[in-house]
Formats: sequence, structure tokens, C-alpha cells
Amino acid sequence: MLPVIEFHLNKASGVSTYLQLVHQVKHALRLGMLVPGDQLPTAREVVERLAINPNTVHKAYRELEREGLAMGRPGMGTFVQRSIGGAALVDHARLRSGLAAWVLEGRKAGLDQEDLNAIFSSVVVESFREETA
Amino acid sequence: MNNAVEATGLGVRYRRSWALRDCSLAVPAGRVVALVGPNGAGKTTLLHAVVGLLSPDQGRLTTSGEVAFMAQDKPLYGDFRVAEMLRFGRRLNPSWDGEIATERLATLGIPLKRKVSTLSGGEQAQVALVMALAKRPELLVLDEPLVNLDPLARHDVMRALMTSVAERGLTVLISSHVVADLEDTCDWIVVLNRGRVQVSGDIESLRTEHLMLTGPVELADRLDATVIGASYTDRQATLLVRSAGTLDPRWIARQVTLDELVMGYLRSPEAAALPAPVVVQA
Amino acid sequence: MTWLTWRQHRAQLITTAGLLIALGVLLLVSGREAAAYIAEHAPAGCPGPDLACGDLNAAIAERYNAIYTVYGWLPIGAPALIGAFWGAPLLGKEFERGTNKLAWTQAVSLRRWLGVKLALLAVAVMLGGLALSAMVSAWRPIFGDRGSFGNLGDFNMLGVAPAAWWLFAFMVGTAAGAVLRRTLPAMAVVVAVVSVVTFGLFSLSDHYAEPTRLVTADATATYTGDVRLVGKAWVDPTGTEMGSPPQGACPRGTDVGRANALQEAYERCLVDKGYRHVVYLHGPEQFWRFQWTDAAILFAGSLLLAGLTARRTTRRRA
Repeated sequence: MLPVIEFHLNKASGVSTYLQLVHQVKHALRLGMLVPGDQLPTAREVVERLAINPNTVHKAYRELEREGLAMGRPGMGTFVQRSIGGAALVDHARLRSGLAAWVLEGRKAGLDQEDLNAIFSSVVVESFREETA
Repeated sequence: MNNAVEATGLGVRYRRSWALRDCSLAVPAGRVVALVGPNGAGKTTLLHAVVGLLSPDQGRLTTSGEVAFMAQDKPLYGDFRVAEMLRFGRRLNPSWDGEIATERLATLGIPLKRKVSTLSGGEQAQVALVMALAKRPELLVLDEPLVNLDPLARHDVMRALMTSVAERGLTVLISSHVVADLEDTCDWIVVLNRGRVQVSGDIESLRTEHLMLTGPVELADRLDATVIGASYTDRQATLLVRSAGTLDPRWIARQVTLDELVMGYLRSPEAAALPAPVVVQA
Repeated sequence: MTWLTWRQHRAQLITTAGLLIALGVLLLVSGREAAAYIAEHAPAGCPGPDLACGDLNAAIAERYNAIYTVYGWLPIGAPALIGAFWGAPLLGKEFERGTNKLAWTQAVSLRRWLGVKLALLAVAVMLGGLALSAMVSAWRPIFGDRGSFGNLGDFNMLGVAPAAWWLFAFMVGTAAGAVLRRTLPAMAVVVAVVSVVTFGLFSLSDHYAEPTRLVTADATATYTGDVRLVGKAWVDPTGTEMGSPPQGACPRGTDVGRANALQEAYERCLVDKGYRHVVYLHGPEQFWRFQWTDAAILFAGSLLLAGLTARRTTRRRA
């Protein structure tokens, strides 16, 4: 049976390998590619593909366990416990198309990629900051 | 937990001077250890001491369990056939597992009837590695295993090693003078400089303890941290520090890469990052 | 370890066995042929040292010149080759190729690795030497009683000598390989040491036993036989022994170049006046005593060299 998720490494990013694995699992959970009950690849499988230290994989899975996202069953493997985020895939699709329209408008107004990124990031940051204020 | 390798005050003489001086380290089992340092630092000497190819002139060195070694030039008997190399392994090692060997070689597509000298460099490296792995060691020691290998062969070798670690929890000790080669695979680092151990510790812990600071030169004096290395311009100071306390907000701090960590220590031979001594109850 | 010793040294074992067989065949064939020739042409009691056999001896020497040449070269040549090709590469090649770092990091200890190899190869080498001396013993009598004691070359090809020499040379090669860590220089050392020790032992053999003392009017008869000359002296008519007769006892001229006439005249004059030659020598009855003494010395040397090899190797393994 093929593993449900394949990890990849970005060596240039400066982020610890184990964190990259954690992020990739969380990302897959958010997008609904991984659902509760799915088995995460074994350390051996990951290591055979990526040639990284198996302890790194164990560390990533322990982090996921700590956050309650995964559970290791001795002798059987590590399994997804719960999903992340409330939004359903349908919501994702709707939000994407809304954002695509906004980007198109911005481009027509003469903004380039960096301008658009800057506006988007600061709006997101402000929105979350308003919540905590 | 057992220590795979333990050295106390290890010293090895080479002609008139010391190749290794006052080396102490303790590596927990199940780790993948990077032994780094400039050429001539004493890496090969240390590895030879670990595998019993030389006796220390001072201090003690112990290893737990069966040790396997792959030397820098990956020596094999050129006129032997691959099958005869395996026979060599079986005859000289009671712990030899022939199945691991034949399975791996079959997966790699290396025919048993071929003469070793007719194999490519990468294939020979794989055979040499199989010779070590089939002994079912507790500790596997490799002296610059990636030198002279093309990128594909390098990936193959590291993959084989990591898979063995995943399957059997063996401790691996790899030496290299290129840190980047070992970054993804090692979780413990030993930095050797001019025959002395400068750094020995868990890589993640070391990276958490250290910071790269950039800031105004004037702040450099009043810094609540152990400075390992520093470089200055008229206005700016860049420092590698350890165990930083509260920092003036004008400092920009970022995480250190393994390369920067090693380089920082190599440039400051007096600095050291060694685990604190453990009190032993009498 | 038995398999490994065979596998790593089978080239030497097979080549040496092959060469011995080839030599054996050569000796057998030429021996048969010589026997037939002699049966046809030889006067009774020949070949031998008698004057009457002179023509026949010369004819045989000419006919089997090639074999005599090979045979003449074997006493030093064979041990030198054994030392160079069995001994020098044993450790020399391991160090040169770096395979010592493979061989001595296995579960079998270095002591065991070295001990088994040295023991097995030493036995093989001695058996080879014995085979050689057996073949030579069988072949030589056909060519007449040339004597086996006085001539160093003959002596070293018979009895237990070849086995002892081959063992010694093997150990010299191994020790040289252990110390120098390279094969070619070790080979050179073997050739040098074997040559020096061969002549050295021959000189030393003067002391293996108390020499026989002969007093005679005609010295040449004694030391043209199958003997080893230890020393010469003179005894005067009163029976006192002296290195040389007193000056003026007889007119003494000086020969030029290789001529001997004046020396012979001088000696005849002395004999007429009652002086006699004193010759100290060892006779062919000492053959086995000398064989075993040589063998004991070479064997002791081999043990020392084996010890040196072991010590050097265990101290510096890489």
C-alpha cells in the first residue's frame, strides 16, 4: 500500500528538518489530504526516500503526538488522530477564488508581486492583532 | 542508557607531537555522530583508536558491543570476487549475517561473481559498506565515507546507512571535513581541532543554545552571553554567542546553522562546548 | 583463517608447486638420459674424481650445462625467491593496499590472523624445501660422487638445508614487510640478507665442531677432497707447530700472477728438510652434524624474526 503522504526536504530554508516534516503533516491535514485514521509513513520509509536521520522522523512524530494530532501505536505505526482547522474543502475553494479576483484587480491597478504580498501580509497580521488587542 | 563510545583524557602520540590530546567524549547509543574538523585535526587518529587500530598513549577509550569500520579508502581485496569478500566476512566474524549482505547486493544490482577491481567506485563503496553492515555491529565507524563519490553514490550510501539506523538502532560515527554533507543525517556532533575536542553534543541542543547576533559595535562589551567568535566593522558587530541572557532589543538574533557553529568554534580554538561533567556517587 | 590463507596465497603456493614439479620433471628426464649416456660411454667407476674419468666428466658437464647453471643458482636463488614472493607481500601488500584496515578490524584478532598465516605458510615452505632436497638427492648420484659437504652450493641443496633456508628466507621477507610496510623494498632486503647469511654461516661453520688435524707431506691431496678447510700451518722437524716456517729456512721466490712454480719449489724444499704441512679441516663425516647446526641456527633466527614481525605489527596496525 502506498503511503498517503510523501515528505520532501527544503535544505535551503534554514528550518529544522523535523519542523519541516511537522509542517508538511499539518499542511496536509489542513487541506484534507490526511484524515484521522490515516497511517503516517514509517521512519524507515521516510529514511529510505530522503536519507535523513530516523531520529528526526521520531522527533517530528513525537511533536505531532504532543499536539494531539497523531498517536503512535506500538508495533503498528503512527496514525492521524484529528484534523486541523474548521474550514471544509468547499470553503477553501470559495476563499481561493475570492482572493484570485482581488489579485487580478491589484495587478490591473499596476501593483507587482511584492506590493501585493506586502498588502496581503500586513492586512492578515493586523486582523489577528486586532483579535488579541 | 549505554554510551556507544566513551573516551576520557585520550591522548595519542605521533612521532614527536600529539595527534590527540586530552580528548574526552561520551556518545549515547543510537545516535548518528558527525566528527568534523579541518584536515590534520586528528579525526582519522581518533577513529583508528575507536576501532582498535591503535592504542592510546594516554587515557582510556571504551566502546560497547561489536564495532565495524570502513576506512577512508574503502579497502577491499581487488582480486577477490564479491562472493569471496562475503566469504571473508563470514569466516572472520561469528556475528556475520550473510542474508543482509546478499539481499543488499542483489537490490543494488551488484553481481556476486564480479571481481572487486572491476566494480565502479560507487559500487566498491557499497560493497565496503555491506562488509561493515553485515557484521551486525552496535557501532559503525566510517572515515570520510563520501569523499570521491559522485552525488548519486553519496545519496545511496547515506540512504543505506540511515535505513540501517532505522531498522536496527545502530550508532554511527562518521567523519568528514565538509559539514554540509552531514547536516540532515547527524544528530550529534564532535568538533576536533588540532587534536583536541572542542565541541561534543546533541545538534539540536547546540543550535538552541547558540545564537548569531548582529548589532551596533558599542553594545558588544555589555553582552550577557558567552561569546564564541566575533567579527567587527567600524559600526557593526557580528557575534556567535552561547547561553545568552536578556538581550538589548537593538541586537538582531537568528538561529545558527551547523556550518556557522562549526566554523565559529574552529576559528576560536580556545572555546569549547562540552557537556558538563556528571557527578558520580561514590 | 585457513580458507583466507589459501585464498590470499594460492598464487604463490601454486606457482611454487608448479616450479618444483617442472624442476622435478627436468631432473628426472635429464637424469634418465644421463644414466643411459653413462651406461654407454663410461669406463668403470666413472663418473667420479678419478683421473680416468676426466673426459667423461667434461662431456657430461658440457651436455647438461643448462641444468648445472640452474642448479648452481638455486642455493641462494630459491630462498631469495621464496622470501621475496611469499614473505615480503604477506604484510607489505596489506599495508600498501590499505587492506590492513579491513583485515584487522574484523572479529578475528590480529594475533590470530598473523599466527595462523605464519604457521600454515611456514609449514608449506618447509615442505617445499624438503621436496627440493629429495629431488636433488635422487638426481645427483647419477652424475658421480661429487661430494656433498665441501661445496657450499651442494650442501645447501641437500638434507634439511633447503627447508631451513626457505623457512628463514620467508621469515626475513615477512619481517621486512612488517617493518618497511612496502613490498619492493622488502624484497630487496630479503635478497641482501639471504646472500649475506649464506656466506656468513659458511664461515661460521668452521666452529661447529673441533676440526680434524692432519699432518702430511702433500697438502693438495687433503684439501681437494670433499672437505671444508679451516686453517693451515706448518710443523717443524722437532714437532713444533707454527704459522709459517722461520725466515731463511728455504729460498723463497715470489710468484708473479697466477704462476705457482716458485711457491711449490719452496714447499718441496721445506718438506725435504723435515717440515710437514698441518691442515685443519672438517671432513664429510660431519655432514649431518653441520646440517642440523645450520638448521638450528636458521630456525632460531626464524623464531626471532617471527617475534619481531608480531611485535612491529601489533604496535602499529595502521
